[in-house]
Amino acid sequence: MYHRYHLQTSPAPEIAPFPNRTRVKVSKRGLAVHLLKELIRYRRNPEVALSRPCVYGVFSGPVGGFAPRSNSCVGCLRCTIEHPEMVQVNLNPKHQHLGDSYFTPEHVDTICYEARTGRIPVKGAGYRGRFGGEGWDGMWTDMSEIVRPTRDGIHGREFISTSVDIGQKPPFLTLDEQGVTTGEGVRTFSIPIPVFFDVPPAPVLSRKFIEILVRAAQEAGTLLVLPAEVLSKFAFQGQQIVPLVGRDAHTLPKLRFTPRMIELDGGNEALLMETRAHFPEVTICLRYEVASKEELVRHYRSGFRVFHLVANYHGRGRNGRFVLDLIREAHKTFVELSCRDEVTLLGSGGIIAAEHVPKAIICGLDAVAVDTPLLAALQAQFVDECADREKSRFRLPRRLAVEWGVQRLKNFLTSWRDQLLEVLGAMGLREVRRLRGEIGRAMFQKELEREAFSGIEGYGQ
Amino acid sequence: MANSMKTADQLIVEKHTASLHQGFHLAPELKNGKLPALGDHRWTADLILSTWVQAETGKPPTNGLEHRVGNSGGGFDVLDFKFLPEDRRLSDDVTVDLSIPLNRRPYDRQIEIPIPFYGAGMSFGSISEQVMCARAKAAQAWKTFTCTGEGGYPGSLLAYKDHVITQVATGMFGVREETIQHAPIIEFKYAQGAKPGLGGHLLGDKVTSSVASMRESLPWVSLFSPFPFHSVYSVEDHKKHVDWIKTINPEALVSVKVSTPTDIDMVAVGSYYAGAHIVHIDGSYGGTGAAPEIAKKTIAMPIEFAIPKVHRYLLQEGIRQEVVVMASGGIRTAYDVAKAIALGADGAVLGTAELVALGCTRCSNCERGRGCPFGLTTTDPELSQLVEMDWGAERLGNLYRSFQLQLSDLLRRLGLTSIRDLVGKTDLLIYCGRPGAR
Repeated sequence: MYHRYHLQTSPAPEIAPFPNRTRVKVSKRGLAVHLLKELIRYRRNPEVALSRPCVYGVFSGPVGGFAPRSNSCVGCLRCTIEHPEMVQVNLNPKHQHLGDSYFTPEHVDTICYEARTGRIPVKGAGYRGRFGGEGWDGMWTDMSEIVRPTRDGIHGREFISTSVDIGQKPPFLTLDEQGVTTGEGVRTFSIPIPVFFDVPPAPVLSRKFIEILVRAAQEAGTLLVLPAEVLSKFAFQGQQIVPLVGRDAHTLPKLRFTPRMIELDGGNEALLMETRAHFPEVTICLRYEVASKEELVRHYRSGFRVFHLVANYHGRGRNGRFVLDLIREAHKTFVELSCRDEVTLLGSGGIIAAEHVPKAIICGLDAVAVDTPLLAALQAQFVDECADREKSRFRLPRRLAVEWGVQRLKNFLTSWRDQLLEVLGAMGLREVRRLRGEIGRAMFQKELEREAFSGIEGYGQ
Repeated sequence: MANSMKTADQLIVEKHTASLHQGFHLAPELKNGKLPALGDHRWTADLILSTWVQAETGKPPTNGLEHRVGNSGGGFDVLDFKFLPEDRRLSDDVTVDLSIPLNRRPYDRQIEIPIPFYGAGMSFGSISEQVMCARAKAAQAWKTFTCTGEGGYPGSLLAYKDHVITQVATGMFGVREETIQHAPIIEFKYAQGAKPGLGGHLLGDKVTSSVASMRESLPWVSLFSPFPFHSVYSVEDHKKHVDWIKTINPEALVSVKVSTPTDIDMVAVGSYYAGAHIVHIDGSYGGTGAAPEIAKKTIAMPIEFAIPKVHRYLLQEGIRQEVVVMASGGIRTAYDVAKAIALGADGAVLGTAELVALGCTRCSNCERGRGCPFGLTTTDPELSQLVEMDWGAERLGNLYRSFQLQLSDLLRRLGLTSIRDLVGKTDLLIYCGRPGAR
């Protein structure tokens, strides 16, 4: 029966204190003097004297500006423009320390907004960031002036599919004399959104945390990668779970359920065979840090058809290259081998904003695994730089609650899916599968700059 | 009116208006330093403060505030001009011509504006009526234009109708025969840079009864301008639109506002052949209204790349001399205007720069609650009174004057006597994107 994908959003406010971007400081003496003057000046209209220069309630407490409510400040600066002598609005150092050098405070803000509301971040007054930059920032997506389905699709009046297939497909079907297919057929399964949960770092793998991920993945109909040992330890199971198996495969027999997919951590041909022997019907995915295309081809030739390309949390691969380039190279490698449609490319690392999903898919991924954004959505604090998957440390809120966490992740996924729909809608695409590898629907800063600025003195020098 | 005669509400507005005006004057003086939380990469604190100075004095700042470029690390911010040595520059007594034509075809009405920019479309609803009128009054004083945006044509604009462009967009809000007939120029908005391919969305909070009445809709109900025009799927369909406008107002010039996809060059050519006099390309980094962050940052290319693409393609097609190219979407300064022209535009369209002149701090809360706390992007009856029409028109006029001064100075330093000679002159630009290139 036809089922239209929908996730129920609901407000899920922060459970741990979240530092506001700005901090309001008022000179109490200055305010007292000012107030006195105003009360004398407007003695017949005390409400005029008491009217405050903030429409967001920063000075609306019982003692007004004597105890400003900084958390209500949106940084409009009207108060400090009107009263520079007594009000100062500063950037909050606590806010500036959110995240790390890659996962910036602005990223944390955005993810928290998405997880809190389930909405697309909307702001006025144009774009505020840098012009372009390295990696994802140096890439724009296309739009069409006149093509449907667009706004209609975004608002649900027309359907834009975000389903993707994971698994392997033969290049063609082989039929026997009776017309029956022989050999390897299509072995894929679908997930309704091209985003799933990657394996969380070991230090945060508590039962409660895992339960949040398991339930959120189940309700969202997506996947969650978890170490096989952890599954055995906490006895979690379900079709949404993708066991991650180490190189020695000793955990394979301990799995108490048949998943849809198993990830082999940097596996080899022998491990692939052994896993196939245990789970003949299950999709097997090779998870590894890509270093070269020769390596990728070797793995393909040894029988792998589903690849999870992993970069560190800052999007850097083993050789230091950025994940965007690694994805493009992997996709191109399989296109050149004329086997791109036979394989599935998944990827994770450095994908920390909703815009990165369509960009990663344009570069060649079928689906994206998110890692640190899940932690940010659950208000985990980054401890120092968090690039290395093994060594990074995160601090989860003490009062972590399962229901709250599940709702935060559902909100987060809804927001990311809706933003994907915006991008697809702008292009006039009806399904995300058609976006895969569509480099022609992307614009890269280097190329645009070369086209626009070549000939200008100083360019290219 | 004596204070004793005024209502408390009037006194409150008066009190805050006076404090704000004083604040806009004092902040750029930097007596308390720069406001620490002001500005961002595109609109730095310096750019915002220097725009306030220009809006007050009609001149660029002289206290060291950077008024030419922002800190975005790309686009206009990495381009500069190759000025002539001092002894070869034109002297101040040489008159330079900043006027541009808005119709380069040999037929139809010939309109020129004395400065190479006009005001962008901002609808009634997204901004207050006072701000709309201030923009129109400034446009009239400077013999240039402002645009209604898609939100209707308030009666108060009629006094300035010869300087108001009527926008026709997909929601057709406020589009009536008389609003077409009033206008010397009709702008078809196919897409806009801030939300390319996504249409418009006025949040319910802003649809007050007066906005709803103007748009012939229900109060407090969100309004969508769908995307795209559901009657236009080809250049031929667009031609039908132009014909329709020409039937109602044969004198009107037609502008086509489009966003910046990969094939923006083809779109421009198609627009020309459909009869457009002006191709208005709107880049992704501008926009004044509320828009999804992902759209602003990610969808469609920045204007700095789109302008030369369009200019060169129109040249190759042999039609550049017959079409006016206007650029918008991130034009912040007089230098941005000049760079856009050097890259290939005829002129520029200003949106956010005008709002900054009126006191916008770019806090991005246009869509939140009652709207802009400075009374700009709001229809809240109390907040919108913070901007008086005459004060606003004077500020905008001063900004235009400052831009005029800077553009004239810039042309003299380049040895040019007309802004038209700067069009497409990329050889007068220098790229300074990498250390040591400047």
